[in-house]
Amino acid sequence: MTTYDLIFYLFALIILVSAFIVVAARNIIYSAFSLLFTFFGVAGIYVLLNADFIAVVQVIIYVGGILVLIIFGVMLTNKITEVEIKTESFQVLPSIIISGIIGGTLVAIFTKTNWKVAEPQILDKTVTEIGRFLVSHYMILFELAGIILLVALIGSVMIARKEKLETEEVEK
Amino acid sequence: MIPLKYYLILSAAFFSIGIIGVLTRRNAIIIFMCIELMLNAVNLTLVSFSSFFGDSSGQIFVFFVMAVAAAEAAVGLAIIIALFRNKLTINVDEVNIFKW
Amino acid sequence: MENNSIQNILESLNYFTPELALMLTFFVLLLVDLFFRKSKYLLPAISLVGFIVSGYLLVYTPDVKGFLFSTGMTNIGLYVIDPFSFFFKILILLAMIYTILFSLSSKEINEAGGNRGEYYVLLSSFALGMFLLTSTIDLLLMYLSFELVSLSSYILAGFTRNVKRSAEASLKYIIFGAVASGAMLYGISILYGLTGTTNLYLINFYLSNQNIESLPLVIAGLLIIGGIGFKISMAPFHFWTPDVYEGAPITITAVLSVASKAAGFALLIRSLKIMFIDYTATNLQSSAWAILSQFKWNELIAGLAVLTMTLGNLAALWQSNLKRMLAYSSIAHAGYMLTGFVILDNQGIMAILIYFFIYLFMNLGAFFVVMLIADKLGSEEMEDYTGLGYKAPFLGVSLTIFLISLTGIPPTAGFVAKLYLFGALIKAKWIWLAVIGVLNSVISLYYYLKVVKNMFLRESEIEYSHNLGHGNLLITLSLLIPTLLFGIYFKPIIEFAEQSVRIFGF
Repeated sequence: MTTYDLIFYLFALIILVSAFIVVAARNIIYSAFSLLFTFFGVAGIYVLLNADFIAVVQVIIYVGGILVLIIFGVMLTNKITEVEIKTESFQVLPSIIISGIIGGTLVAIFTKTNWKVAEPQILDKTVTEIGRFLVSHYMILFELAGIILLVALIGSVMIARKEKLETEEVEK
Repeated sequence: MIPLKYYLILSAAFFSIGIIGVLTRRNAIIIFMCIELMLNAVNLTLVSFSSFFGDSSGQIFVFFVMAVAAAEAAVGLAIIIALFRNKLTINVDEVNIFKW
Repeated sequence: MENNSIQNILESLNYFTPELALMLTFFVLLLVDLFFRKSKYLLPAISLVGFIVSGYLLVYTPDVKGFLFSTGMTNIGLYVIDPFSFFFKILILLAMIYTILFSLSSKEINEAGGNRGEYYVLLSSFALGMFLLTSTIDLLLMYLSFELVSLSSYILAGFTRNVKRSAEASLKYIIFGAVASGAMLYGISILYGLTGTTNLYLINFYLSNQNIESLPLVIAGLLIIGGIGFKISMAPFHFWTPDVYEGAPITITAVLSVASKAAGFALLIRSLKIMFIDYTATNLQSSAWAILSQFKWNELIAGLAVLTMTLGNLAALWQSNLKRMLAYSSIAHAGYMLTGFVILDNQGIMAILIYFFIYLFMNLGAFFVVMLIADKLGSEEMEDYTGLGYKAPFLGVSLTIFLISLTGIPPTAGFVAKLYLFGALIKAKWIWLAVIGVLNSVISLYYYLKVVKNMFLRESEIEYSHNLGHGNLLITLSLLIPTLLFGIYFKPIIEFAEQSVRIFGF
């Protein structure tokens, strides 16, 4: 077993354990923080797969963006003194069976299929290549992603400010 | 050397943990976190295939999935906040989400 | 290489003008909304102009011989323009134009105050996403445009002053939608792993030339069908439909039930047809599912279609809210259309196209009349519609005609739609499916006629008088006349559909 393998198992363990904590934790803050470890673990796996650009983007977008957003969401919606924070689960057994079936099928097809290649190839200069694709072959997608983000921006501002507008109108 | 299969199995296990979360939790924010877990599992599959094929289009796919995930999380949390203001709850069973 | 690719993108943009017009509309609306918030007619007027210009460009786009945006390592691009996408784009534009017209007289939208600007902005991005969905041939572009449509519709579904119901609908929609798109992505990633490409034509090439194991392919196909099935509210992915349709503003319900379903069907037909067809086979009927022959796909789809229409119709029987009933009825209609997909040869696709074209008019019409009455009455409950037929005879009669057409009784257009669909099924020897379809139409007769009975055969004391205004009268007539006319004179639709079954590369 080489160091490389060891690092893989370490990251895999981090991902699975912290993902389990996200799902099972009673306290929502614990879930949010263990999500942090999951994201970092995934970024580590990306590094092992020679996907350096994606690993960095993973840290920036997921940890720096989405996770902060989620924690803000938690803070804005848990008024601890007024509302009881309910985080318990329901229908546990059926859902474990369902996802067991899904996961089992996926594992089965992943192990049974003969995937064509054997070892990760090092794409030299992933950043250059991805950058070139983004402004040539996939330019239209790049533009489209911009529109999607703009729509999300407009939409979330519109939805979140709704309350204020209504009180203004009532005052009139 | 870790074979491709191990990465894929990791992603499958990761994906099913996400599904368990979506199905069992009642708090809408935790459901969103679990959806992020599922998307991460997908990204893991795409990156491992892309890296083993030496083809960068899988990584570009992941880049776009991340952008969309961010957009979706923003809209989702805005909706949750709007709902919370009105009903003071974000528990999905209390918003009749499973009414048929 | 760089120079070459820029050249190609610029050339492709010549054929991309309808979509560019929609993008421009999106940005112009955004800017105009900043400066002219108060004006009531400016924004809808701009969106209407945008959609009409886009339609004009669509009609006058020259025929393309190749793929668009095809630079880089392969010559196969991201986007195609063919008669098939043309048909669906026309359908989507019609639905969008009607939605804007509906919004002008909708009470819900006009009372929304400051948010009205965003409403029109999001409608144009919604239209743009659906346009892209109908012509995409790359899984990446498919995913992104799918998400553009979904995000716009999540937000639009949550758009009203009736915040509680609407936000609930929106939350439910986004949770189900995100899970569905996650599952679809997993299917896409497996497909990418099998073939190493995201282009539908290349996927087809690899699938037919290499020995691909069938189990992963089946799972990937199921996950992708499931994700798209969510958009067209196919059972068992239809849970969100009734609540979202009931909670969303009625204009959005109308557009979701027609346009977004049309885009979903276009995507489903195009992606499965391109990916899984065997070009070498001569007999189209049997080659349609050739690559997936180890698994009986058409029987699976047939089962899902039966499930979808039966669940939709049976649930509709118990509804007392008219909007919710129409939601279930639209699930049932998705089921009818799926039966055409079972055959997947040109006959079946043609039947789906005809059905959609007619469905557009009758379903939008039904929603519009319900909206007009609900704005006046303040309720969508069926009980409150008692005796309306005498107090508002024009609306009562129109609603009756739309509902009869939805049932599929001659001489309305709905009959022609069902005739072609079931005819195609019988021709392809799927007789049991056609029988179930007919039985389902009989069930649907019951709940559609319940509304009619309530309006005409029962007396009520409620005071109700409706002054329609010329605009609404014209809109209703413009939906009513096609519904009746196409029931008698349907040759043009048949010809249009016949020309439109041609998918790029076939």
